[in-house]
This record gives sequence, C-alpha cells and structure tokens, in this order.
Amino acid sequence: MTTSRTDNTETSHGITRHADQAPTNLPSADMVLTNGRIYTVDEQQPWIEAVAIKGGRFIAVGTSEDISERVGEHTRVIDLDGRFAMPGIYDMHTHPDLALAPGYAGYLDVGIEDPTPEQVKQAMLDYAANAPADAEGWVYGAYFVRYTFKQAGIVANREWLDSFLPDRPAAILDRSWGCMLVNSKALELAGINADTPDPRHGYIERDSITGEPTGILVDGAYALIHAAMPPTPAHALQRAYGEAVNFQSGRGVVGTKFVHVCEHRLDALKAIDQRGKLSVRVEAAISWQDDIFPVKRRWELMAGERHFYRSSRLNANAVKFHFDGTHESRSSFLSSAWPGESSWRGHLNLTPEHITDMVADMDRKGIRVIAHCTGDGASDLFLDAVAEARRRNGPNGVRHQCAHCTTLLDENLPRFKDLNVIAEFSPVGWYPSSFSYARAVFGEDRMQRAYNFKGILDNGGTAVMGTDWPVSGFDPWVGFEAMITRENPWGDEDGRFYGEPISLEQAIRVMTINGAKAMEIEDRAGSIELGKFADMIVLDRNLFEAKPRGNIHNTRVEMTLLEGQLVWDAHGEFDGTEHEAIWSREMPDF
Amino acid sequence: MATPIPVTIVSGFLGSGKTTLLNRILNSDTGMRVAVMVNDFGAINIDSELIVGQTDAMINLANGCICCTVESDLIEQLSRLINSPNRPEYLIIEASGVSNPAKIVSTLRYPQFANRLSIDSTITVVDADQFADLEGDMAQLAMEQLDVADIVLLNKTDIASPEQIAAFRTRWGYPGIRLYETNHCDVPLSLVLGTGHFDAHDLEENSLEQRQQPCVLHHDGHHHCDEHCHVGYHHEAHDQLFETWYWECEQPLSLSLLRSALATLPTTIYRAKGFCQLAELPDHCAVLHLVGSRHDIHPGEPWRNGPRTTRLVFIGTRGGFDREALEQTFSVCIAQSEVA
Repeated sequence: MTTSRTDNTETSHGITRHADQAPTNLPSADMVLTNGRIYTVDEQQPWIEAVAIKGGRFIAVGTSEDISERVGEHTRVIDLDGRFAMPGIYDMHTHPDLALAPGYAGYLDVGIEDPTPEQVKQAMLDYAANAPADAEGWVYGAYFVRYTFKQAGIVANREWLDSFLPDRPAAILDRSWGCMLVNSKALELAGINADTPDPRHGYIERDSITGEPTGILVDGAYALIHAAMPPTPAHALQRAYGEAVNFQSGRGVVGTKFVHVCEHRLDALKAIDQRGKLSVRVEAAISWQDDIFPVKRRWELMAGERHFYRSSRLNANAVKFHFDGTHESRSSFLSSAWPGESSWRGHLNLTPEHITDMVADMDRKGIRVIAHCTGDGASDLFLDAVAEARRRNGPNGVRHQCAHCTTLLDENLPRFKDLNVIAEFSPVGWYPSSFSYARAVFGEDRMQRAYNFKGILDNGGTAVMGTDWPVSGFDPWVGFEAMITRENPWGDEDGRFYGEPISLEQAIRVMTINGAKAMEIEDRAGSIELGKFADMIVLDRNLFEAKPRGNIHNTRVEMTLLEGQLVWDAHGEFDGTEHEAIWSREMPDF
Repeated sequence: MATPIPVTIVSGFLGSGKTTLLNRILNSDTGMRVAVMVNDFGAINIDSELIVGQTDAMINLANGCICCTVESDLIEQLSRLINSPNRPEYLIIEASGVSNPAKIVSTLRYPQFANRLSIDSTITVVDADQFADLEGDMAQLAMEQLDVADIVLLNKTDIASPEQIAAFRTRWGYPGIRLYETNHCDVPLSLVLGTGHFDAHDLEENSLEQRQQPCVLHHDGHHHCDEHCHVGYHHEAHDQLFETWYWECEQPLSLSLLRSALATLPTTIYRAKGFCQLAELPDHCAVLHLVGSRHDIHPGEPWRNGPRTTRLVFIGTRGGFDREALEQTFSVCIAQSEVA
C-alpha cells in the first residue's frame, strides 16, 4: 500500500487536483482512503470507493471522484489500490485476563522437567527469599511431580511443606494440574479445616480418621486457595490486556466486551487507556458472583464508582453473571431433562427471583446485564426476567445480553427482538473437531437446533459473536468463517457441524453493526456512513471473491482505523509519521 | 444406603496388555455382576456364547456382566450406572492409554460418589520394553500411571530380558512397589479384583485356629482348604501362589504406628483387610484396606459389646514373607498405655 501527502499537484495514486478546479468551501479531510472496494454495511449504499475522515468521523463517503473534493493541503491520502475494506469488527464476549494474566504474575516456576522433592523444596525456598512484595508473602507456583515423591519415599502433604515453610502461605501445583499441595498456613488463611465442605467438582483430601486436610486439594478445591490469595498483580493484568488489545487491533476488532472484571481489572484497563494504548472500545462487565475471582468493591462500582473509569474507549456499565452451568459438566439448565436422565435438568446458580429483581434493578440503573445461559431453560428464565424489567421500568431500557445461547427454545426466538435482548453466540468452535463434538452433549434432538444463529436473525433479532477466549481461540475470524460454513476451516475433519449456516452478508452484519448494537452505539458506529465514527479495516482479500471455507479465517488485516485513528498498521508504513499507528508490524501469537 | 461399589482402574500404555487383562476378566466367572468400562470394543474379545445382547455402546453377557464404552462424560455415566436397576456389584474402568489415569482416580473421590463407589485398586500394566527409552510427554504419562498404581503388573516377562526387567526396576521403581511379573496378564483375578469375601462376618464367625488352616491356591482350581475357609482366593486356577497370614490383638493400636508398619510391609504382601481397635478412635472399629503400596484406614461401625479385637488378614506370595518378623512389626503398633 502506498500513501502520500497532497502537497503535490498530482499524487502518486492518481488523485489529481487540477489547478483549475473550482475551490470548494467544503472542509478538507484529515485523511482520505480512496480507490478501494469498500463494503459499508449501509443498505442504502452498500459499496463505495472512498471515504473522507475528519475529527474521527466520516465526513464524506462515495466514489473516489466525489471524495477527491475533500483532499486539502494537509490531508493524508491513502490509495487502497482496489483493496477491500469494511467496518471494524466486534468481539462481544472474551476473557484475555483469564487466559494470560496468571502466566504473567511472576509466580514460582520450578523450571525442572521432573523435579525431585529436594529440588522443589530448594526452588520454593529461593523464591521465598526473593518473593515479590505484592505477593503478601505467598509462595505460589508450579510444579511438583507426585511420582518423584513416591520414588523418594516422601508423602506430599502439608507436613512436608511445613517442615521448611512453616510461617508463610505456600501452594504448589501438580504437573498435570490435577492437584495442588498447600501448607498449614495456606489452609489457615483459606479457612480450610476438618469442617470445610468439599466444593463442587473437586475435593479436599483428608486424613481418613481425623478428617483434617492433608494439604492436597483436588480440581475444584483450588478455588478456595485462589480466593485467599492476593489479587493477580497489576503488572500482569496490564500486560494481559495490553497484549490482548494489540492482538485485537491486529485482527480488526474495534469493539469488545471483557466479560468478568473486578476493581483491579478496571484499574489495569484505565492505566492502559491513560497511556493511550487502549486501541479497542471496551465494555467491561463487572462480575456479579465471586466464582471466578472475588470482586471486593462490587457494590461501590454498581452505585457509581464505575464512572471513574469511563472514557470514549472504556465503560463498565455492565454486569456479568453465571446463570447456569456448562454443557461439559451437564449442568446447563435445560427446559426438560438431560438425555438419559429422568429428572436432572441441570443447575441454576441463582434463583429466578434473584435474577428478576437484579435485572429490573440494573435496568433501572442503566447497567447492561450479560447472562451466561447455555441451556434453553436458563435463557427462557432470563427472557422472563427481562420481560418483567420492561414491565416495571418501561420498554426502552438497556439492551441486555444473553451469552452463549448454546440451545434456545424455538418459541423464544421472537422474544429476543420483542424484548430488545442481544443473542450472543460463541461460534469459534462451530466446526467438526474432537473438541466441538465432545461438547455436543445435549442429545441429538437438541443438538439439531443448537447454535441457532439463523433462527435469531430470521426472527428479526440481533445476534452477535464472542470468542470466549480461553474457552475457545481468540481469533474472531475463525468464528466469522465457521458461522458461514460450519465446516473445519483447516480441512482437518470433513463434514458439517450442527446448526444452520448464515450468508456472508448476514455474517458481516453480525460482526459489525450488530456488535455496535450490542454496545448501543449503532447510531454512530458499526457501518461506514456519513457522520459515523471512522472505524474501518482494510483487508488483504475481498471476502466476496473467494469461497468462505478455508479463506475467511486467515484473512490478514492490513490496517485498522478506530475513530479515524490508525491503531493497526501491518506493514509499519506510517511509522515515524504523525499518523503512526498504536500497534504496527507485530502482534502477539496466541 | 447400599454398600459402595468397589472399583478397579486398569491403566497402562497402548499395547501393554491391558486389553488382555480385561478380556480375561470378561470371560471368567467372578460370581458377581461386573460392569467393565472400556475405551473401545475393537480389541475386546468375548466368547460369543457368552454374549446375550449387544448395542453400539454395550454388550450384555450371560453371566450378568456388562461391557460398555467409556463416554466423554465419566461423571454422568457413573451416576447412571450407580442408579440403574441393574446396579453392578463391581466396576472395572479402563483408563485410556494416552491420558492421565489420575483424573479418573480423582473423579471417583468426588463428594457425589462418596459412600457409593470405593476404589478397590488401581492396576498399571507395564511392558518393560515400552518403558526402556521414554522421554518427554510419554515419560510424564508413565510417571502418572506409576504414581496412581497400587499394583504394577510387569507383563510380557517371557519376551523381556532379565536386563530389561532390572533396568525397569532401577529407573522406575519406588520404595514399596508391588511389582508382579506375568505373561499374557495371566494373574489370579483375586490379586487385581477385591473379590475376597473376608468381611466382618467371616472374621467374627471363625476362630483364629480355623482361619490359620493352610489355604493355598492349587493348579487344578479345586480348593483344598476346609469348609471354614472364607478367603476368596482359592477358586483360581493357578499354582500355589499365595498364602495368608492372620493377626489378632486385644489391645488398642496407635494409628501412626500402624500406618508406619503398613508402609513398610514386605513387597510380597499384596492385600490386607480387617478391623482395628485404635487408641485414637475408641468408640468405633476402624476398617483397614490395603492393596499393594496403598492402604486406607477409615472409621467403621461403633463397637458392639464384647471384646474389641483387631483382626487382620494379609495375602502375599507363598513363602514370600516372614511370619515372625510380621508378628514383631505389628506388636510394636500397640499403643502405649498413657495414650490408650
């Protein structure tokens, strides 16, 4: 791609300002992108060639010729040279902090393939001697290998850890992440004793006679220790979010929702924003439950402290809650019994009454409710709660969001439009693979109507996508392709996954204007129209010119513009100029 | 509540001989309704006369046993088996040759299965040749399999050289390892399955003298013990492989000393079971279960009137242990009077 300034009479890109051209009193643009194939997502004018941008907005859209009028003395003109461009895309549900921050926290890494107990002990002592100040004395990390303890004839229990770390809380994970070994101090701080009930999906190993914990915690029991530990350090959260928005800008994302935040996560996002590095519009949803991490200032945030974080790039006007469980653990709440069961319908984490009052209250406060509902019974109850909120507060409240929508009742499809509720799906795994089939557990009848993107769209509803990283991958383009094909993008497996595909045009709307609707900014973003924010991506291929399968997922984004600001520049063409992108050339490889 | 269903987990690499062992179990008459959960039916070989019904996911056998494939959701599948009208009396789960068997062991210990399933044993089948040059992920998997093993069956010893077997012991052995050498997994099933009917009733009804009668396993499978023998190890068609040793004690034992004693038993003792009087648990008898290198002592029923006698039975390879030394080992477990 080539660019130029317009000081010359003739640019190198064929846009010519003739000396005899009538002077125009239209304001000249800060930037013009011309000579492209631009798909606008505006039904009145789906295809244009050029745009003019000033003050972060589109001040003109049309043919290259139309737009040439907006080129002034200081206009940066970018010749798209026939390339395809479209509005920036939206990832409406993802968790980069959960995916990355633990790895950046500076926890102990023993760093030996099969460490002996002696080596584990030495590494823990060394770490303790130099432990970071923000760890509050915790010695936490990975890993030990139970088998090497067996070989050494040592029982891996709290007495062993107490023998060299008697006073500081210490916890070390097993290599296969099957269990965690903790000392007596850690048990004490976590309040784990003989009377502590076992958590769901895990257990506290106990002395068979006294019931006292041995120091081994299995699976779900880790959470008891994590809740007692200091929060993930700020530097790790900032690095995680910083790399995430770099990646997202590099993949053309202009709007995203970081679902599940606490005060520490909001602090990290604000720090990035203040450094001018928040290159994506972020809606952060405050965690309603403490099941992932504790939110100590939840009520202060809800009451108004969230506005402290507000900027054009960041808002925390949303809450996220886990209404039901997951399909893997057969705890999704269904409208009828699970396959092979006479009565088990799954699990609701909160009562329907709790949800109803909460949704009505949040709705009144202007806070969006994002509800994790994988089972069709959970989304049914959530829609009922929204209906009640509309009844109490009037019909024009916040657009709430039903997350995942893995299975929906057919009769509920029109309710998404009627109640103005966003249906959010997680299509990144919607293709044949061992992973996706392992999750296809609702029984053949329900699977046939699962992932019903098309049903929502056909009924006039607004469907959006979320990558849900790290549950599935972080690249939204994989989901973009899969929602159209339902086939394996890499050709690793044949066949078509459950659910009905949608058209490319529909998918583009899902990825763009529907995302803007889910953030309630569709009047000023989500499509390339006069007066809207200049959010645009330039791609290395025209999505309409090749068969979607095997093509869309590996699309390269060459340039991402957010409110007229270059946030991603794949070739570093603007490096060193006044238009230098926030991120150029390199993006993290997740 | 029904008594917990005992479970045996069979682990080992692909090609180690796991399936041979499972075929052996499926084709024998254990006298129980056994459910065998395998990874796939492909290698399963059941005498066709035994099969009375078959679907994609389940084979029903004439002896009341079933064989089914392990589904992706083990928790759900186990819940269904436990609650089915044809509740199995024994469960055998084949761990996949490529995944960590500790996951299955952990799952069986989840609270929802407490009092409904009890792990009898975890058996890891090993081909010494496969363990010769393991590195990386495969070495990690080997460690995971040996970590959970109560008894290691060293299979294919007809093919393996003595050097290979020695090398296995050197690299992979650990203190207290119960390493049972075998060919074609031809092991007495009572070694791998906790089928012994030596429960409270037997131990109380029979005098020590009666139980001390020699009880051995004979090649012809007929049992040569007297009618009072209730040890379930004499119905196997094997050579005179095992013998039993009983120990009784009227005085309360110290829990920690007993645990130490069990941890240092000769590796020729494969199983032990019984009841103990513990100083730490004066009102209840304690139930002891030992399989290979693992033992478990947990509180049982309150003592009834009468003497509170510790009664333990040990099964080990014939001629493999010194009774006097064992007597000595357990006598020092008697709690000191101030504790008692």
